[in-house]
Amino acid sequence: MSPYLAETRYPLELAPAMPDVWELWQRAKTLPWDPETDIPWEELHPERYPEEQIMAARLHWSRRTWGEYGAISESPALLLRFCLENRLPDLRFFFTMRTQEEGRHAEASWLMAERLGGYFPQPQNPPTASAVGTHGVRRMAFDPDTSLEGIFASLVCAAEEILIDAFKATVHKATNPAVRRLMELILRDEVRHIAFGWQCLDAWAPSFTPETVQNIERAVTQMIQNVEFNGYRNLWLAIEGGTATPLEIDADRVACEAGLGGTTPEDEMRIVPQFIKKIRARMAPWGVELPMFDHPKLGKV
Amino acid sequence: MSETSDRLLRGYQAQEKRFRERRFPLRFTTESPVVRELYRQAKGMRWNPETDVGWSRFDAAAYPEPVREAARLVWSRRAWGTYPGLGENTALLIRFCLESGAAGMDAKLFLSFRPAEEAKHLEACFLFARALGGYESTPAEAVARASNQPFAQMALDPDVSVEAVVAALGGLDDQLDLNLCLSHLQQSRDETARQILRLIAADKERHALFAWALLADRMPALDAGGRADVGRAVRDMLERVILVGYRNSWLLPAEAREPLLAAEALTARHGLGASTVAQEKAVVRATLAQVRDRLAMWDVALPVVDHPELGRA
Repeated sequence: MSPYLAETRYPLELAPAMPDVWELWQRAKTLPWDPETDIPWEELHPERYPEEQIMAARLHWSRRTWGEYGAISESPALLLRFCLENRLPDLRFFFTMRTQEEGRHAEASWLMAERLGGYFPQPQNPPTASAVGTHGVRRMAFDPDTSLEGIFASLVCAAEEILIDAFKATVHKATNPAVRRLMELILRDEVRHIAFGWQCLDAWAPSFTPETVQNIERAVTQMIQNVEFNGYRNLWLAIEGGTATPLEIDADRVACEAGLGGTTPEDEMRIVPQFIKKIRARMAPWGVELPMFDHPKLGKV
Repeated sequence: MSETSDRLLRGYQAQEKRFRERRFPLRFTTESPVVRELYRQAKGMRWNPETDVGWSRFDAAAYPEPVREAARLVWSRRAWGTYPGLGENTALLIRFCLESGAAGMDAKLFLSFRPAEEAKHLEACFLFARALGGYESTPAEAVARASNQPFAQMALDPDVSVEAVVAALGGLDDQLDLNLCLSHLQQSRDETARQILRLIAADKERHALFAWALLADRMPALDAGGRADVGRAVRDMLERVILVGYRNSWLLPAEAREPLLAAEALTARHGLGASTVAQEKAVVRATLAQVRDRLAMWDVALPVVDHPELGRA
């Protein structure tokens, strides 16, 4: 073991120190579900949909799988950082459960694509992989020059928050019972993930330095401009259309109109500006000023 | 951020940059039915330390004060030994992801569950120590040194193969941890201690099986050099970690064994979740024989050790 460095591990405090976050850990333990058994797959009936809609839904749920995979391959790095920075035990306990839940979401999204007719293991056009492949959180988590507060704000309060805003705004359109149940179950978990991020940042806010605030502003801005507007969640948002094929770009709309998950451009035109307005207001008390964003389809938001 | 954590983080950063992740094609299909089945079992095995242990039935006052004091120290030490599981399994998960998007999804899904299972074990140890009078957050210096091993860094080290990491951490350490847990369970008479150990052992059984299943899938494809690396990693784990007291107090340096050794003896005598030194020695010997036999299937030799406390094993 000699080539490695020893952590400063002790004292190893385990008593809850952030009651709200501890409660999220306790709650998460009581709400397990299994993608294989807790979704009414027998009600999916892919044979009842025209081929175009099934293809769109397969593309949509495949891309969702790639996005969820980021929470298995990237954001768990945050737990390593919590451990070596000796962050409060509540954070460490909760984050183990978050990784577990994200693994479940990835499996469930993959199963949905599979049962709709087949999961796609990669984008149709290889360069699109850079838009949908990574949100860069692992790199940020391992970068001592990126503050934990900035990562929380960009990952949890931006990337996950918009995902959930889109789910909340469109879950009622998912007329297919299996799709709807899956969206509800993912939503139930993600609400806790987002609460975790906001609770931590609210608790830390009184100790933010001007540098921390700048770090948050930079990280959130990058997440919106370079990840969200690059099509990570929805390829229709990719500035200049990105490199995705027309079929991929249109998949969310077609799937959504079929009641199989996804959003329409009209939904996005409403959801994204509201989301940015909401987090701008929510972060303002911390002294965080998010810039106005220019987007060719959304306008100035 | 302290200087140490800054250096550690830069270490992770440097390790991560040495991998060239190929995320796509990102495959989810089953490659290893055994590992996928272990993942399924993990999803089905739902328990909660807060609610699935009969805390209200535990009567701490039924035990004399010295016994409670001893047992709380033993269960605190168990928490110190459980805690590394959060980081090392997370690091191993990231390692599998960095290695390939196309392969290893069974292991990734399994490992996405494991840190939370370790966290539940940690919580259970903490709660029991608290019920016995209070969890102790700071070990004596020698114990702190023995129990603070950089396994997460090892898991992310591109110079150590995944097989070597899994053989050392899973094949040897997890197997020993499971066997010790089963021994403590066998020796325990207190209903709460038994309940906790039974729940933890059920998870640990899957953890050890995961290592052997993964090795069974991958070892046949390794060349002689790869197998030698696995052997080296297991030996290193045995000689530099296990035999210096990572899991067993009687293997700590002589001057550092007390008061843990006395606490374990008293806890074992009152059936509160520990084994005697003689029982632990038998477990370590049996585990080494078991691990040696299994590794031999892949032509990996684990030499016999001659140790002043353990003897020839």
